[in-house]
Amino acid sequence: MNPDLPSEAAEYGAGAARAFASLGGLDAARRAEVDPAERGRSVARALEALGADQLDPRADPDAAAAAGELCRAAGRVMLPYPVVPLLLRTGGAPLAVVGEGRLRVDHGDLFDEWRVATVDGRAQAAKPASSRLATKLGPFVVDLSPGGPQAEPAHRDVAFHLTLSAWLVLGVIERAVELAVEHVSGRVQFGQALSSFQAVQFQLADAAVGVEGLRELCRFTLWRLFADPERCQPDALAVRLHALETARTVLRTTQQLHGAAGLCDEYDISILCRHVQPCLRLPFGSERTALELAGAVERMGFDSLFPHGARSAVG
Amino acid sequence: MIWAPSSAQTTSGESDLDYDFGDRAAELRGRLRQLIADEIPPGYLGAFTDDPADLEVAQRFCHRLADEGLLTVAWPKEYGGAGGSVWEQTVVREEMWAHHEPRGAQYMGLNWVGPAIMAFGTDEQKQRFLPPIAAGDVIWCQGFSEPDAGSDLASLTTRAEPDGDGWRITGQKIWTSYAEMAQWCVLAARVGTATAKKHEGITMFLVPMDREGISVRPIRSMLGRHHLNECFFDDVWAGPDEVLGGVGNGWSVIRRALAHERVGIVRYARCDRLLSAFAEEEGVPELLRARWARALVDVRVARLLAYRAVREQEAGEPRDATASIARLAVTQCDQQVAEVLFQAQEDRSLEAGADAPVAGAVEDHWRYAQAATVASGTIEIQRMIVSRHLLGGRK
Ligand SMILES: Cc1cc2nc3c(=O)[nH]c(=O)nc-3n(C[C@H](O)[C@H](O)[C@H](O)COP(=O)(O)OP(=O)(O)OC[C@H]3O[C@@H](n4cnc5c(N)ncnc54)[C@H](O)[C@@H]3O)c2cc1C
Repeated sequence: MNPDLPSEAAEYGAGAARAFASLGGLDAARRAEVDPAERGRSVARALEALGADQLDPRADPDAAAAAGELCRAAGRVMLPYPVVPLLLRTGGAPLAVVGEGRLRVDHGDLFDEWRVATVDGRAQAAKPASSRLATKLGPFVVDLSPGGPQAEPAHRDVAFHLTLSAWLVLGVIERAVELAVEHVSGRVQFGQALSSFQAVQFQLADAAVGVEGLRELCRFTLWRLFADPERCQPDALAVRLHALETARTVLRTTQQLHGAAGLCDEYDISILCRHVQPCLRLPFGSERTALELAGAVERMGFDSLFPHGARSAVG
Repeated sequence: MIWAPSSAQTTSGESDLDYDFGDRAAELRGRLRQLIADEIPPGYLGAFTDDPADLEVAQRFCHRLADEGLLTVAWPKEYGGAGGSVWEQTVVREEMWAHHEPRGAQYMGLNWVGPAIMAFGTDEQKQRFLPPIAAGDVIWCQGFSEPDAGSDLASLTTRAEPDGDGWRITGQKIWTSYAEMAQWCVLAARVGTATAKKHEGITMFLVPMDREGISVRPIRSMLGRHHLNECFFDDVWAGPDEVLGGVGNGWSVIRRALAHERVGIVRYARCDRLLSAFAEEEGVPELLRARWARALVDVRVARLLAYRAVREQEAGEPRDATASIARLAVTQCDQQVAEVLFQAQEDRSLEAGADAPVAGAVEDHWRYAQAATVASGTIEIQRMIVSRHLLGGRK
């Protein structure tokens, strides 16, 4: 029993964080919004320099942990690039998880060929079919058109996708709490730093509980993907659900603690809150995820101290 | 820096990111479950019900565990324990709490009184007090809280006046769990006059509950009988050999005790078992499918946060903030699960006892869960600890 990350993975993540910092941190996202082609240039180059295209999280637990740390580092700056799909390429095509209807994908315009899969693992080829939404909440979102079903189901890849996108959300909320701590420590009202008010302190404490809980769950889920590959779908949905729900409360709290400034693009919290929306909304939000999880638990069980769901999962 | 898979594979020794407790712990879990199945009547709800037989079950069970060498699994060998790892200790705590703590009040002696005596006691105190705890023969209670010293424990006013080579103690304690059945008390009292630093002067005494001048009055509550009590100390004698950890050093003992308590009560384990048992017996109501799934995730997260605190203990670097984060998650999870289960039981939630759903376990759990965010330091105090850590020197 050891819930710590392999040190190589942590080092790799730290290297990624440095690389993203030299892109300007959240400024890379700001620049990409003005000039979307920037994504394919400096951001793609930084990922290439990190060897992200050599890193296959499905290969072994150490690689998976390194990929998790890469995604967390990307989340901290809301890196304008489809990092999770990139890590889960099959024959060059990145993987997106989609709903039953529209094939709506963040940064869908960056690749000509995609592999898209539903949560239950049905896969098909797809290619970009629209221009970017270019909205405040979906600056880089693109609709794809189907290019024919693929025989090979994508269960395992979907589980990795859900899990790694939770790692990305972890980076986002971890950074959001840091930003809120900085802000309330510096901002003076009523003659004192906001951080001296207990109401503020308690909100930060609750946010920290959220972040640490998601961190532990992300790590545990990666382990499950290798320890029990046949029955890890409930685990992946669980971490996805927890990421969505924790993000909702932590982002709300941390943005609120910034006051009006929290809504302004000059402040990093605003960029984080806007740019993470596609990750939180696609292919669907927490209520549907919870129902998917309930179904998966009933079919496959849920690893715990006592048996839950399917009888076969007793253990 | 590029990811270099070949170098990663050279990692040697204990593997990282591995949540398997190992064969020894798995075997221990199996043995404990078997013993519980053999010794504990079905539908057992702990030692503090209205039925005195339940207390006897707990006393018998402790002796049985002691015979099997399982009562002090985590104690060091030099004190008669099995020298088990923190993970084996975690297994014991999980199985006990999941099954309504069939050790009864004795878990306190095992979890923190014994370890505190190991850490702070004299050789003579160790010889005198540790063997009876290890044998399952003795119940201890914790006399810290007072009517005017709750969260602000350091403002306690129970006084110890020097008398000959010993002390005379006078004051009142409250919320003292199991005081009515306990043979011994770890009692916090103040020596000398209160100074600006309230922690100074606090001294820990080990006193037998049958000593002259001690009286106990049970407090009726929504918890089980015998749970909460008031204790009155009227000129109670304590000898010099009954001071634990030195005069004026009581605050260190308290800190250690509370740190143990914060991670010692693994409430997620009972949540886990009750969700499992209810689904098995009654099925998950259609209305609650999504909420049930969320509850399973919450229980998992609470468990993992508790494991993080255990991991820090194992590594010899426990941090207060980690333990407080775990406690915030675990206690609130306890209440959320209690609520989900009550929603599932609907109007039968009000029933208690063997004829109620899951033999009354859900009703019992709901009542105790209400206390989870208060006992051993409220969650507001935990939030203060966490935010202090977050804000560091910035505040
Ligand atoms: C089931 C149970 C068993 C217990 N067993 C024992 C035992 O065996 N031995 C023992 O010594 N004690 C025991 N206690 C007592 C327990 O340690 C105290 O109840 C606890 O420390 C809180 O103190 P209090 O009840 O006086 O609440 P108070 O301190 O009066 O607090 C009341 C409320 O105000 C909040 N509050 C207090 N100070 C602050 C602040 N500065 N900022 C914000 N909010 C604040 C609290 O969080 C709480 O919500 C037990 C309690 C329970 C519920």
